[in-house]
Order: sequence, then C-alpha cells, then structure tokens
Amino acid sequence: MKRPVRPGPREGWPTSSRVDEMQKTFWNYLMLAPFMILFGAFFLYPILSGFRYSFYDWDTVREPVFVGLKNYETVLGSRNSRIAAGNLAAYVAITVPLGVSVAFGLALLVDHFAGFWGRFFRSVYFVPVVMPLFLAATIWRWLYAPNFGMFNLLAGWLGAGNIRFLNDPDVMLYSMVAVDVWVSAGFNMVILLAGLKNIPRHYYEAARLDGATKLQEIVYVTLPMIKPVMIFVISYSFISALQVFDLPWLLTGSSFLDYGGRQKALLFPVMDMMGRGFGSLSFGLASAYGFVLTFVIVLLTAAIFVLQKRDART
Amino acid sequence: MGWIRFGSVTVLALTGALASGVTHAQELDYWVYSDFAQGEALKLQQTFIEEFTAKHPGLEITISGRGDDDLLTGQIAGASSGTGPDVFMNSTSLGAILAQAGALKNIYEDWMAMPEDFRAQFNPDLIKMCTPQPSVMYCLPYTGYGSFMYRNLTVLEEAGIDPKRPITDWSDWKAQMRKIQAAGKKAVPDMSQSWLSLANIYSGVAAPDEWGIDFDNQKTRIAPEKLAEATQMLLDIKPYTSGTSEDDQVTKDLFTTNQLAFLVSGPWVDPIFEQAAKERGLKYDRVLVPGAQEGQYGGVKGFEFIAIAPKANAKIAWEFAAYVAEKKQMTRWAAALGRFNSNDAALADPQVSSHSLLAITNEASKHAIFNRPPFFVKPYPSDYWSVLLDGVADIVEGDETPQDGAKRIVDELNELVADE
Repeated sequence: MKRPVRPGPREGWPTSSRVDEMQKTFWNYLMLAPFMILFGAFFLYPILSGFRYSFYDWDTVREPVFVGLKNYETVLGSRNSRIAAGNLAAYVAITVPLGVSVAFGLALLVDHFAGFWGRFFRSVYFVPVVMPLFLAATIWRWLYAPNFGMFNLLAGWLGAGNIRFLNDPDVMLYSMVAVDVWVSAGFNMVILLAGLKNIPRHYYEAARLDGATKLQEIVYVTLPMIKPVMIFVISYSFISALQVFDLPWLLTGSSFLDYGGRQKALLFPVMDMMGRGFGSLSFGLASAYGFVLTFVIVLLTAAIFVLQKRDART
Repeated sequence: MGWIRFGSVTVLALTGALASGVTHAQELDYWVYSDFAQGEALKLQQTFIEEFTAKHPGLEITISGRGDDDLLTGQIAGASSGTGPDVFMNSTSLGAILAQAGALKNIYEDWMAMPEDFRAQFNPDLIKMCTPQPSVMYCLPYTGYGSFMYRNLTVLEEAGIDPKRPITDWSDWKAQMRKIQAAGKKAVPDMSQSWLSLANIYSGVAAPDEWGIDFDNQKTRIAPEKLAEATQMLLDIKPYTSGTSEDDQVTKDLFTTNQLAFLVSGPWVDPIFEQAAKERGLKYDRVLVPGAQEGQYGGVKGFEFIAIAPKANAKIAWEFAAYVAEKKQMTRWAAALGRFNSNDAALADPQVSSHSLLAITNEASKHAIFNRPPFFVKPYPSDYWSVLLDGVADIVEGDETPQDGAKRIVDELNELVADE
C-alpha cells in the first residue's frame, strides 16, 4: 500500500520535527495560558485602555471626547506637576543614596555577628519592613509631633526651638526621607547581607595578609564582590522611589480633595495623578499623567541597565 | 482518561459555582463608613439587615466598612464598571462628584411613591439638598454631625478654671488658654492645619452663607473681612496650640492623657474619650464652640446620605435604604449610639432627645455652618482647600497680615472657581 505523502516544508507544512516540537510545547503553553489570560485581562488590557483614554476627556460617565495631546500638554504644563516633579527629583536624589548607604552599613554590622545575635539584629532591622505602613506613619507622626514628640523634646533639651517636621515646607521632605529610610533599610539590608555571605572568606584573609585596613577591605573586596547585588538594590530603590505614594499621603493626612501637605511640599506625581482621577474625575488627564510617569521611569531604568551592561563589559 | 478526569472536574466545578450562585436570589452590597461597621454600630446595622432580610427571603446583604477615600474611589470606579456597591453612604459634601460620576440613581419616583408619613419624617432642608433639580433626587438623608468642643476637665482644674462657668466669647476663650499655657499644658490643637478646624473658627464670626462656593456667580462665598478676623484669632492663639492637627491621633492622645484642654471635633471622637474615661478616668465634657461675640457660636455640620446605584437590583436596594433610614431604625440608632441623624421624627423621640451626645450635636448643628456647600451641584476645584489652608498658614506664620492675606486668599479662590 502506498503511504500518503505529507507535503514538505516548501509547501508550507511543518516538518515532523516541528510537529513534535509543537506537540511538546503545546502543553507548556496550555499550562501557561491561565496566567497569560489573567495577565492580558488585568494587566495588558488596562494599560492599553489607559493609553487610549489618555487622549480623551473622560469622567467615567459621559462619552469620552477625543482631545488629542491636550491631556499631555496639561500635565506637562501644570503647576502641580512641576512641583511634584521637583519634589520627586529631590526625594530620589536624597533617599536612594542615603537608603542604600544605611542598608549597606547595617548589612556590614549584622554580618559581623554570628548565631543568635546575627539573627536577632537581622530580625530587628527587618521589623519596619513587615510593619503596616499606616502604623509606621502613626508612630512617626508621634515622634515628629511639635511640643510633645520625642525629636522635639530632644531638640528642646539641646536648646533648639520647636521643629515642625511635618508642617514646615523646608523640613517636610527630610522628615519623610528619614521615615522612608527607616522603613526600607531592613529589606535592602537582607539582600545586601545575602551578597556579603557569598563572598569567600579567603579574599579577606588575603587582603589582611597584604595589610589592608577595614575600610580598604570594604572598598577593594566587599564592594566589588557585591556589585551585582548592589546594582539590584540601587535599581530597585530607584524605581520604588519614583513611584512613591503611600508614605507622603499618610504623613500629610491627605485625602483626594486635599493632598500633598502644606505648600504641597510632599506632593508627588502618583499622588497628583490619583487626585486628578478620583478627586476631579479627570481620568483621561490622570491616564496621561500615568503614561508620562511610566515613560520617565522606563527611560531612567533603561539608562541604569545600559550603564550596568556597559560597566560589565569593561 | 486524562480528558475524562479533566472534564469531570470542570463539570463539578461549574456545578458548584452555579449552585453557590443560586443560594441567594438577590444580593446587596452595602458600604458604610468604617465607624459604622465596628462595635455597637455594626451590631445595630446587622440587626437592621437581619430584620429586612427576614421579610425578603432569598436576599443576602453584605455590609462593608470603608475609609473615606476607599468609599469614594470604590463608588466612582464601581459606577463605571458596574461592580460597585448597591447601597452605600457618603458625605453630602461629595454628592456632586458622585452625581457627576453617575454613581447615584435618581430616586425621585421611588421617593414620591412612598407614603406621606414616611416622607414627612425627614429634615426638609436635607431633602432639598438631595434634590438639586426638579424631579431629580439622588439620596435619602441618613446620618450627620455637628461639631462641638470637648473639654478636658482635669486640665481646666489644674489651670484654675471653673468648668461650670461657660466660655462667653473668643476673648474669654483666649484668657482661659493663657491660664492653661501658664499651667504647663496646651490649650488647643493647631486649628489652621485642617479645613474642618479652620471652618470651626471661621464659623464663630461668619454667617452660614459666607462659606462655600457660589457656582452661579463663579466665586467663593468666603468673606475676606470675616476670614481676616478668623485668622487674627488663629494668630492670637498660636502660642497656646499643641502644634498638631485636630484629626491627628497624636492630638487625641494628648487629650486623653490630660495634656490638652480643648478639642473641637465631631461625635465620632466620643467613643475614644468614653473608653479613656472608663479605663483611665479621663474627665471631659462637651460644650458649644465659642464664637467671636457673646451669644455667637462656631461649628460645622455635615450630613451623610444613603444612596443606591443605578443597577438592576435598584428596586430592592431602594427598599432597604428606605428601611434603614426610617424613623424606627434611626430612633434605635440615635438612642443606642447618641449619633445624630437626618430623621427629624426620630430625633424628636423622647428616648433619643435625652442622650447627652445627641443633645449637644443637635444644639451644635443649629449654630453650625455647612461643611462644603452647595451639595450635589459641582465638585470643588481640586486646589480649593490647599489654596485656602496654605494661605491661612502663611498668615499664621506671620508672612502676611490677616487683612492682606485674607484678601489675597479670596482673590485666588475666586480665580480658581472662575477657571473651572
């Protein structure tokens, strides 16, 4: 009996190896399908839909009206966006280097302890990470309270006047950075600590034999060895800082009708975006705001990765 | 074999899902403020729900307590997606934004179909407020508040102040503050930090129609000369303030630990102080907010409404809303919690009117200005409150005189309103 001839690849049919491959991968894709469907429905679709609405004037009820790039012009030209961008730049410039430095310092400190004390300090420094942020904000509002807060009592003993940590526009940003560093240091410390634990001890022994001081050990052994981890921590801190929202919201007791604290000293882009959406029902404008912010974050993150790659090559 | 198993499991899962779906013929999601879904308030709300569902077999009502922002965002997002609550409460001050978002069903016909004795129970001014246009009614008036002043009697005693002697006016109030400061305590929170505190002071000198926005004429109703007087008062009392905001937890802690003498706030703070009185012996009372002149009083009043979403189950949702807002339920609500409400018939009930918290709230509301009027007309411009509060803070900081600052603030507010 003559076997039927299967068309070859030239006729556009898959070869038997391709069919096998497809059969093999079909189940893999099927297993991935639930995730991909959910990802598409709850992540990709809202993003694409939001991008579309960023070109419309839309209050969720009336028919969206196409306004072209007007929303983007409004966002880029508005006074609040400029204030928010300025606050964000200052915040990122301070909180990322400070936060990573504190976390690195803590990691070095904890790394020195072994056994019970090592675990104890690691847990203690990690507590703020697992603490609900509203609770952390409440504690810090107490610490910062004028007249009665611990910092003002200390300032009083030192002869300084009452500092309005959360109500003086010149001080508010620094007050928030302190809370942010306190909250995030534990998380970064644990990651850096894992990096430190992976450094072979004989590198330090060799350095000591060469007469290196503690500082030289850190500069010439520790830092180069944990560079990939450090870059991850810096990138993560940087991206998180760009999206800051809940901490300034809680510290200033903001609501959708009034947010950002006195003279908008703690107004940040995500807060402004939420306020425009839910406080003024300008969802098209809020979407445009979101995409401007996303574009900036993607651009800056890409720059970090490019620099990182270039550095790895050299 | 594998396909058979997979098919069986799928069929079973679908059957289970369908079966769970038919357990209740109808379901209502009922969203309330967080403090309505805690303790005694929750028990009472659950009683209302049980009573109503007993008369409507197959109906399930799920009550859910939400914070202010969560309530607003959920209702707005729900309005566009159709997934929001069926029955919900919110402040009349947010009525305009919710109406604009399409979150509120026009209940005018349902309302008019109710018997006259039901409709007569409610405060007519609030019914007017819920009915911004002829034949358009967005809500039933539900609960409410009027602000008054809590006094820490221990602090007053330590300062040598006789709590029985009423505070006559602002100058008398300031004299008491001086004594409190001299006794090493703080008199009041920083009343320039929140709009509610500012309104509590401003209302001591201004008339009710001198607050809010006149959308028809595109200008603020705030009178610059009255704002100047109010900010002068804030400037005068600055040395006696705790520096903390009225709504800050720190402020409440200072009051319950006998460090702060006065706190102007609403009835929602009372459970905290009542608990502190029971557990730590806090001694406090409640008085009207002093006004600039003798016989004048400050204070802010606000109301919460109950509304229904424009959804398929709107009929049963309306019946439930009408049930909880009705006199019998509101009488029990007021008697048990001492909380003010918009049902005049319930407030007139003798078992309610004797409640001390309710009595002071009721009295305060007679003198108070509305919180963010007008309601259900237009949302306030997004920067309205920050322009007002930042400007007042500048005056209190001494950057501007009260007269110049007040004029500038009013000019800026007018510009903002005109730009909307």
